[in-house]
Amino acid sequence: MPEYITIEFPSRHEYLNMIDIVCGEIAEDMGLNLEIANEIAISVIEACTNALEHGNKSSPEKNIRMVIKRDTDKISVEVYDWGKGFDYKEYLKHIPDPSDIQKVRGRGIFIMKEMMDNISFELIKDRGMKVTLEKNLYRL
Amino acid sequence: MKYRIREKGGVAIIELSGKLMGGDDSSIFQGLIYDLLEKNKKNIVVDLSSLSWINSAGMGILISGYTTMRKHQGDLKLLHVSNKIKSLLYVTKLNLIFESFDNEKEAVLSYSSN
Repeated sequence: MPEYITIEFPSRHEYLNMIDIVCGEIAEDMGLNLEIANEIAISVIEACTNALEHGNKSSPEKNIRMVIKRDTDKISVEVYDWGKGFDYKEYLKHIPDPSDIQKVRGRGIFIMKEMMDNISFELIKDRGMKVTLEKNLYRL
Repeated sequence: MKYRIREKGGVAIIELSGKLMGGDDSSIFQGLIYDLLEKNKKNIVVDLSSLSWINSAGMGILISGYTTMRKHQGDLKLLHVSNKIKSLLYVTKLNLIFESFDNEKEAVLSYSSN
């Protein structure tokens, strides 16, 4: 049976470090190796950073909701914001080169795609954006 | 993010601690960089040993500092890069941009060999 952990926090950068701690604790409890644990934590923080800055526009009144689903063969994390969403289909066709130093921002989705096995986006009506990150654990 | 600046062998060493995750950190770090430029300090080493976390926004802050220094014929190199930060640098290929060191003496000496 999968287990679900739900966390909700205000859109403030100060809370992003908490995600690292939560992901680290779960990864340790699941016996994940350090590399996989880091990839999950890095990706979830990127998703939450996007939710905070682009979705909720750094408004502390708007919360970010994170649902972690831990299963025997997979860990998935859903991140919800209250934003208007973006044209992710178009964005995914033209992901910027992350090594381009002329661009200060815009590496988050590339990092998530590289470090996770699956990433999907959904715009939920009257709610906001939902990003789902999945990591298969078959390599252990 | 918190910081402390010291100097060794003509090199300004910026010790960062806490989290580098965007927000106000961007203007604070860029202010530091311009303060150093005003003092004609263009050889910079950023010590990341006390940095608990960095995200892509934080990397953007370092990139901004790097490009500013390069535009002024200076450089910005990294010291004590943790495994988490290394994995971010490698996946984004920014490891090819930033010169990084595990040893402070080597980082400082790298400027005198240029």
